Amino acid sequence: MKSGEQVLDLSGIVVVGHRQDDLGSLAADYRDALRATQQTFELIFVLDGHADEALAILEPLRSDHEQTIRIIRLSRSFGEATALMCGTDQARGKKIVTLPAYYQVDPAGIPSLIRQSTGHDVLIVRREPRRGGQFETLRRRIFHRILGAITGYRFNDLGCNVRVLESKVLTELKLYGDQHRFLPVLARNAGFGVVEVAARQSERDAFRARYRAREYLHRILDIFTIFFLVRFTKKPLRFFGMIGSLTGIAGGLILAVLVFERLFMQQPLADRPALLLSSLLVVLGLQLFSLGLLGELIIFTHARSIREYKIAEIIGSEDSKNREDAA
Amino acid sequence: MSDQFDLSVVVPFLNEEQSIRPMYEAVIAAVQPLGRRFEIIFVDDGSSDATLSIARQVAAGDRRLRIISFRRNYGQTPAMAAGIDHARGRVIVTMDGDLQNDPRDIGALLEKIELGYDLVVGWRHNRQDKLISRKIPSVIANRLIGKVTGVAIRDNGCSLKAYRASVIQKLPLYAEMHRFIPAMASIAGPRIAQIKVRHHARSYGQSKYGLSRVYKVLLDLLTIKTLTGFFSRPTLWFSLLGLPFALLGLLLAFSSVFRYSASGFFPIPLAGTALLFIALSVFLFFNGVLGELVYHTGDTRSEDFARMTIAERSGSPRPDPAKESADE
Repeated sequence: MKSGEQVLDLSGIVVVGHRQDDLGSLAADYRDALRATQQTFELIFVLDGHADEALAILEPLRSDHEQTIRIIRLSRSFGEATALMCGTDQARGKKIVTLPAYYQVDPAGIPSLIRQSTGHDVLIVRREPRRGGQFETLRRRIFHRILGAITGYRFNDLGCNVRVLESKVLTELKLYGDQHRFLPVLARNAGFGVVEVAARQSERDAFRARYRAREYLHRILDIFTIFFLVRFTKKPLRFFGMIGSLTGIAGGLILAVLVFERLFMQQPLADRPALLLSSLLVVLGLQLFSLGLLGELIIFTHARSIREYKIAEIIGSEDSKNREDAA
Repeated sequence: MSDQFDLSVVVPFLNEEQSIRPMYEAVIAAVQPLGRRFEIIFVDDGSSDATLSIARQVAAGDRRLRIISFRRNYGQTPAMAAGIDHARGRVIVTMDGDLQNDPRDIGALLEKIELGYDLVVGWRHNRQDKLISRKIPSVIANRLIGKVTGVAIRDNGCSLKAYRASVIQKLPLYAEMHRFIPAMASIAGPRIAQIKVRHHARSYGQSKYGLSRVYKVLLDLLTIKTLTGFFSRPTLWFSLLGLPFALLGLLLAFSSVFRYSASGFFPIPLAGTALLFIALSVFLFFNGVLGELVYHTGDTRSEDFARMTIAERSGSPRPDPAKESADE
């Protein structure tokens, strides 16, 4: 199938990773939900590793409903965002509906979400009312608030993977790694219109995340990454320079105090451990700074292929194009 | 394609609903008498007011006007970059959309380009802005930029500039680099002229692109220095950065060895500091090597820059234009 051919209305893409509910009933529910929209659709399952079991369940479904269910099997696990991009490459729908391989949103609500997405580039879902303990709710709220403060875009439920997108959004964003989580942020940053609506949480959304230390670390790194991606991709020196100059200046100040004491207060300098600390800070600061410069060099040497801006529309270009064709 | 027009006028707009129509009329009034084939490109930088719809109305009545609208607000440099990317004229003139630049100066800029200059920079010699918040920082910044980059331009911040399209369209233009176009272009060794241009006080609206913070300009300047001064020799640049630290480190190392042999007491913090500084210089050196690699795989080589100006120079070579321009 030639990719990019948009002959259908909807492409549902389900990335099947390590977390999966009963795929048989899930596939049936999603299919029914998409069918209820009365638009032409397909349902693509992307098997991101862990393929054998899933294939055993999905293969019989495919032979029953050949027209609507397609399966893409990746050679190993590449991560959810990459798998999503693979699915997008194969999708034939004008709109993409990303769906998790587990119950998050009540499938009966999906047709209404698709209806509400008209006129928006990206529709994301906030599960409401949301189950979960008080601590969980607090943790979620803090995460989203920090992210909102850093990026300037406020969302409430980035963990919900039910999203309705114009297919151009995904082809343009080129996600990778874990970025699917931040798709709304990145889409907004690229100038797409993003709307968040509430939908009923599925009864079977039973996943209890075990928030161990590692999970927290991942979230903090996520925030850091997104901070960099949204704010500083074109100006790495601003980012590295900020951290570098802070450490460098701190080190420089301590060093200045030490030298002052050596010169005017007859304090010996050579065997003071503070000397080691201050010079370490200075060195660290300079290293960060030089990394920033290196980043600038990378941006500059590739800048000719970078187009920072996204054009919504060029008015007056049609007739000029015609003129060119005529000539 | 770029020969379709003699002149492209690129004007970015951000929330200038009152200025956009007068601006259009002023540009037409100024450019039409020049008798050149021209186009006007208005770039709407994600305005939230009626700027775009007014621009649409204006464009509907004039095919020489094109409008590029952004999905969101990206800033002045990307707006100019978009206009320049889409311009089809042999000469491109950029100016602000707030009526502070005067389109009547376009003729003079164009004349300079036709004399053989690649880049003509406007100089707002009687600048109509606030003294403390805009003019004084600008003077200091321009001095500094001139000192560091070696390209002495009196008014880098003036948006009214004219470029030979073949030069500017090859320059990477991103972030807030429009301020440094002359310095960036100096990698290619173009011939730069400055002329005095008129400057009017703001008649409508607010100043949008405020004074950049000192910090940003300083960092940008450092970037520009890295990019222009040592562009093809990152190893050299980083080695120069590391050299003082290597020397200092060696000095400290010798001093601690000397102390040890003199008193039998080894000063560990001093020796540690020596090692740190030496390590830093080594780190910087290898950063330079990495830079060499980046530069090598990148798509912006100095040969390309060299090539793009030489091709245009066959026209009318003039004696030392840099000198000439400095006197104006």
